[in-house]
Amino acid sequence: MSMRLLNFLKQWRGTAKEAFENVSIVAKFLCLLHVTDRYIISTTHVHGPSMLPTLNLTGDVILAEHLSHRFGKIGLGDVVLVRSPRDPNRMVTKRILGLEGDRLTFSADPLVGDASVSVLVPKGHVWIQGDNLYASTDSRHFGPIPYSLIEGKALLRVWPPEYFGSLR
Amino acid sequence: MTPTLHPSGNVLLAERISKRYQKPSRGDIVVIRSPENPNKTPIKRVIGIEGDCISFVIDSRKSDESQTIVVPKGHVFVQGDYTHNSRDSRNFGTVPYGLIQGRVLWRVWPFQDFGPLGPTPT
Repeated sequence: MSMRLLNFLKQWRGTAKEAFENVSIVAKFLCLLHVTDRYIISTTHVHGPSMLPTLNLTGDVILAEHLSHRFGKIGLGDVVLVRSPRDPNRMVTKRILGLEGDRLTFSADPLVGDASVSVLVPKGHVWIQGDNLYASTDSRHFGPIPYSLIEGKALLRVWPPEYFGSLR
Repeated sequence: MTPTLHPSGNVLLAERISKRYQKPSRGDIVVIRSPENPNKTPIKRVIGIEGDCISFVIDSRKSDESQTIVVPKGHVFVQGDYTHNSRDSRNFGTVPYGLIQGRVLWRVWPFQDFGPLGPTPT
């Protein structure tokens, strides 16, 4: 009885080996895909009115890279993906308008009046703002955000195809 | 973080899973990315979570002046155990959840103090 079982298992050894090799190739590919998507470059779907007219209201797919923020190469005017300081599960897309040490003056509430506020961006922080000042919750509301909350820099838009290209 | 952590160096085990599913609680020792310098990852204890009202002495060396803040939503107030020589939320303000890297669970080295680390039972 056990001889038959052993013979049966021996027959399947070759197939098992092949199956294992194929599965490990797929596993390695998925790991590579995950590492690239998370740490190097990825596509992100962004939507909302806060970055009009740069980004559409109905939603765009943009290509974002996750390397430059680790080397400190984020500069003024970059469109970045940041983790919201109010809700750690949400990612927001805004533009950097101030680096540490910059003094910024902005209109406190553009819909209400002309009162302006002046702030100095503290060390280790950046000032983010949406291009659409009237419909954006950004550093004018929650203050300058720590640099480490930046997760990626937007490179170009890939969808919709009519608007393929850099974000300016 | 004396006396909880040895000033001459410790090897700790910190887990990164719980930060995704639950909020940090009071008394946890967390590894955060410093809001002042993005290349540093200090280890501090969570003293206040969102909604808490925290009163603290701003600089015990200079004056007795104290300040009271309410921890905003999505932030925590962290403080080192050795308050006389610690740069923490009393200096750089409350820390958003997104800057928390992990929670310290266990000390591995020095071997004499091998054991769990966490909220001090009261």
